[in-house]
Amino acid sequence: MGVVVFVGTAKGAFTLRSEDRRSWDISGPLFPGWKITTSDRSADGTFFVGTSSYVYGAAIHRSDNMVDFQQIEAGPKYSDGGDRTLNQIWKLDCSSSTFYAGVDEAGLFRSTDGGSQWKPVDGLNDHPTRAKWFPGNGGLCAHSLLVEPARERLHCGISAVGVFRSDDAGETWQTRNDGVRVIIEDQDHKDIGFCVHALAQDPDAPDHIWRQEHTGMFRSRDGGDTWQAIEDGLPSTFGFPIVRDHSSRNLYSFPLDKDEYRMPADGHFAVYRSTDDGDSWEPRGSGLPQRFYAGVLRGAMDTDHDGGVYVGSTAGTVHTSHDHGESWQTVEAILPRILTVDVYQD
Amino acid sequence: MATVRIELPSLLSTLLSGQEQFDLSAGTLAEALAAIRADHPTLAVHVFDESGELRQHVLCFHNDVNTRWLNPHDIVLTDGDTLRFYQAVSGG
Repeated sequence: MGVVVFVGTAKGAFTLRSEDRRSWDISGPLFPGWKITTSDRSADGTFFVGTSSYVYGAAIHRSDNMVDFQQIEAGPKYSDGGDRTLNQIWKLDCSSSTFYAGVDEAGLFRSTDGGSQWKPVDGLNDHPTRAKWFPGNGGLCAHSLLVEPARERLHCGISAVGVFRSDDAGETWQTRNDGVRVIIEDQDHKDIGFCVHALAQDPDAPDHIWRQEHTGMFRSRDGGDTWQAIEDGLPSTFGFPIVRDHSSRNLYSFPLDKDEYRMPADGHFAVYRSTDDGDSWEPRGSGLPQRFYAGVLRGAMDTDHDGGVYVGSTAGTVHTSHDHGESWQTVEAILPRILTVDVYQD
Repeated sequence: MATVRIELPSLLSTLLSGQEQFDLSAGTLAEALAAIRADHPTLAVHVFDESGELRQHVLCFHNDVNTRWLNPHDIVLTDGDTLRFYQAVSGG
């Protein structure tokens, strides 16, 4: 099976191609010097990539071949003269006929014309709690999206604020954080102040959602109405990614030794796997580096739904497994700090 | 109207297929900036912020003069002038 692993870094993007998932052809950098924060592919095969720069701001680009890109003219943009700035495209979801982009400063945009024109999702961007949102360590960012067109349901995760859900295709939004440990309680709005780091969903049972939170690992079995901690076997409750492999039904996470350190405990670089929907976790696999004190960011883990697991580190290393995490290989390249890892079938 | 040359840093030229410079017609710096907004929207989003001003870390030099503290309406352009955009980031 041919696989393309798109690796977005702090200084450009790289593509890793393989037919056997053991040897890799590396090309790039695309967009040298730009932060590459997210990518996705639409149903017609068009690739979309989010770029940003501390100096020059953010944009979305599209490509038919993942080589030649064109910047979208009418990309996400807050209103001229307003008090919000668009700093980064954190998450692109082009899986349905309506595309979504979660951004920093926190907000959501959507496109209904294949990604050419993007409009703000006012129901979330102007939510009644909006005045009390404030940035965390990674900024004020809407970074996680779950899209269910069949029942017009959306989930959006915003760091240091929490998870919001819409049941009417984005017109109205309600907070969904019941049962999650709060991190900074708001004086007035008790339903915000939760620091979600990533979301994952079971497409066959979409009410089953997992949530790596700043304060722990949580699961919901009622579409986010309530959450329960699921941390049996995890060495710490802090981390960033949570990934669901739809074919094996495995979950993967990468715990870090508490928020003050943000490093693997004792330099033990370990991917944790759950085969029972998160009831229990165990470190898996041989071949991952040891005495390795880099982390894995929320977008830097993905699977190919055929046993392949792919992890990019903040040290710029890429680690791959073709057997559900039982064994690991390290790609022979050291890239800039890795922000996103997205796997596509070639 | 004068024909002036716009020069871009490499990070921005990648957005124009590697084109590091192009010409436009304008009588003043204000008109030149307006022409960039109108004719080069994919470039403009990286040069101007939501307030319509140059981004905080973007500098525009008219020939060898930093225009940051000048009124763009007062800067008269002549044929052959150059407007160079730079990124101004210091502090390591």
